[in-house]
Amino acid sequence: MKTENISIIGQLAAWINWKRFIFSVLMIFFLTSILFPFYWMVSSSFKSKAEIGGREPVYVPSELNLEAFKELFDPNHPSFQNFGVNIRNTLTVALPTSIITVIFAVLGSYAIARLRFKGKDFLLNSILIVYLFPGVLLIIPLFAMLAQIGDALNFNVQDNLGVLMFTYMAQTLPVALYMLTNYFRTIPDEIEQAALIDGCSRVQVIRRVTLPLAIPALISVGIYTFMIAWNEFLYAMVFLNDRFLFTMPIKINTIYNDPSPRPNVVMAASTIMTIPIMLLFLALEKYLTEGLTSGGVKG
Amino acid sequence: MAASAKGTRQSVGHNEVRLAWTLISPTALIVFSLVVFPAIFSIWVSFHDVGLHNLNDVFHAPFVGFENYKQVLNDYAFKFQNLKSIGAALTSVVYAFSATTLAIVTGTVASLLLNQPFKGRGLARSIFLFPYVAPIVSVAFVWRWILDPRTSGVANDLLMKLNLIDTPKAFLATRGLSLLIVILLDAWRYFPFAMLMILARLQAIDKTLYEAAKVDGANDIQQFFSITLPELRYVIGSTFLLRLMWTFNKFDDIFLYTGGGFGTKTLPVLTYEFSFRLYDFGRGAAAAMILLLILAIFMAIYITVVMRKVED
Repeated sequence: MKTENISIIGQLAAWINWKRFIFSVLMIFFLTSILFPFYWMVSSSFKSKAEIGGREPVYVPSELNLEAFKELFDPNHPSFQNFGVNIRNTLTVALPTSIITVIFAVLGSYAIARLRFKGKDFLLNSILIVYLFPGVLLIIPLFAMLAQIGDALNFNVQDNLGVLMFTYMAQTLPVALYMLTNYFRTIPDEIEQAALIDGCSRVQVIRRVTLPLAIPALISVGIYTFMIAWNEFLYAMVFLNDRFLFTMPIKINTIYNDPSPRPNVVMAASTIMTIPIMLLFLALEKYLTEGLTSGGVKG
Repeated sequence: MAASAKGTRQSVGHNEVRLAWTLISPTALIVFSLVVFPAIFSIWVSFHDVGLHNLNDVFHAPFVGFENYKQVLNDYAFKFQNLKSIGAALTSVVYAFSATTLAIVTGTVASLLLNQPFKGRGLARSIFLFPYVAPIVSVAFVWRWILDPRTSGVANDLLMKLNLIDTPKAFLATRGLSLLIVILLDAWRYFPFAMLMILARLQAIDKTLYEAAKVDGANDIQQFFSITLPELRYVIGSTFLLRLMWTFNKFDDIFLYTGGGFGTKTLPVLTYEFSFRLYDFGRGAAAAMILLLILAIFMAIYITVVMRKVED
């Protein structure tokens, strides 16, 4: 009887160890395969020309070599890339895109979630379907349409950051509208009803009750749309030709495709583009993951 | 009394409708002019000869019937030739299905890992989300640099040191291998999305189910197959369909990894090439329409299966 007990305990101990073993192996596998590329990006950006162009890869740079960053930012560098301009262009497009998107989306989504009106279902369904549309499909008619309008109103469609921002809203508005509508539906209607009964008008209710409650959601949607615009590649590639107007993704693509390959410079620029996004994400992770599970970022 | 109450309600209702339209009109205007109208317009473009030469006068472009579609369907890049070059349509389907399946399986494993209690779980969860949050351009170029075809590429170096390969491989420039690598990279980047969805569902499973199963003497594996998996079935199905559609539409990833070369040309990349390399917008729109047609099948399944389930 006693030996049987011990063997059961022994088996249990072995079972736990086996389970823990699999857990640890999988965890190490996930963490290394996720973190290694990020380590490689940051470390490569500090490697010297010799370290990057050798026969074998250098796993740890010998010193924090700033050559790659000098090429990006130092006007005295022989192949100065003027990356500061690209950062500025990205911000010029991304900031207004996210602000305008949030303003329009908050108004629209409130109406969809709370008010009753004809054509609501049609509107919501068409937005949902758009949400699943391929970006490549829209870019052809958008390009043709905007070229036509630009011709009539006498503005350039290409190399125009304002036009680019406008096209980004085609991608960000449906996402933002969808997320915020979901959010407003989670705020109990009773709170607003109470304020309405207290004699507030709808507009007052929105301003004093609903909006303050929705601030976390507004921040997360704002950051999402900012990230979409910050990362956007296809539309920027089609609409921008002038390298002084390039956004970061297009500039990095251009540096990569340069006839003389300089992976350390590409990695330095990628690091600069990635770090703000990761910091934003870590700072606001709680809000953002909630948005993600409610069908947030399309990607 | 009743009549006046009804009258007030009507006027409130009327005010609400007006307010609703005021609130929604800027968004509706932009969505319709930037999305709905272009979407319909692209159907029109696909039946006309539109190129750079007549872009400024696009509404007078000559009607060509199904000519654009014929050209796309007969294009070498679109059609199945042999097992070595299966054409953009089939590549798209293979790519979308395998990348999605792999991302969902990996995401399920990751969510089960993160559902265990352990120290530093919050940090691990943040790290697991990194691939999904990082900008695609950075991610793509890091992987290209890691998979560099020379001996200086770290993947080649490691695999050669482990004696798994004799000579350096051109991972992203070899027919067959490239598609496989792109699928793996896609799973690497998008598993966190599945992970989050599944994790949320895992944490909502009623704990008493497991306790009851334990009392009945079910082991962990039995519990997984008889409780966890059935509970996850719906979220896995809906995430699969959603990811399938998004992967099917994806342009950036493949374009940045391989430029659509070496057997990785999907329909979105082909659409881009017709439109902005050949500047044949009509043909590009026709390719996009074919893409949309296949997508519509997935969408129909999604709407009938997932959305109906939600209403239940």
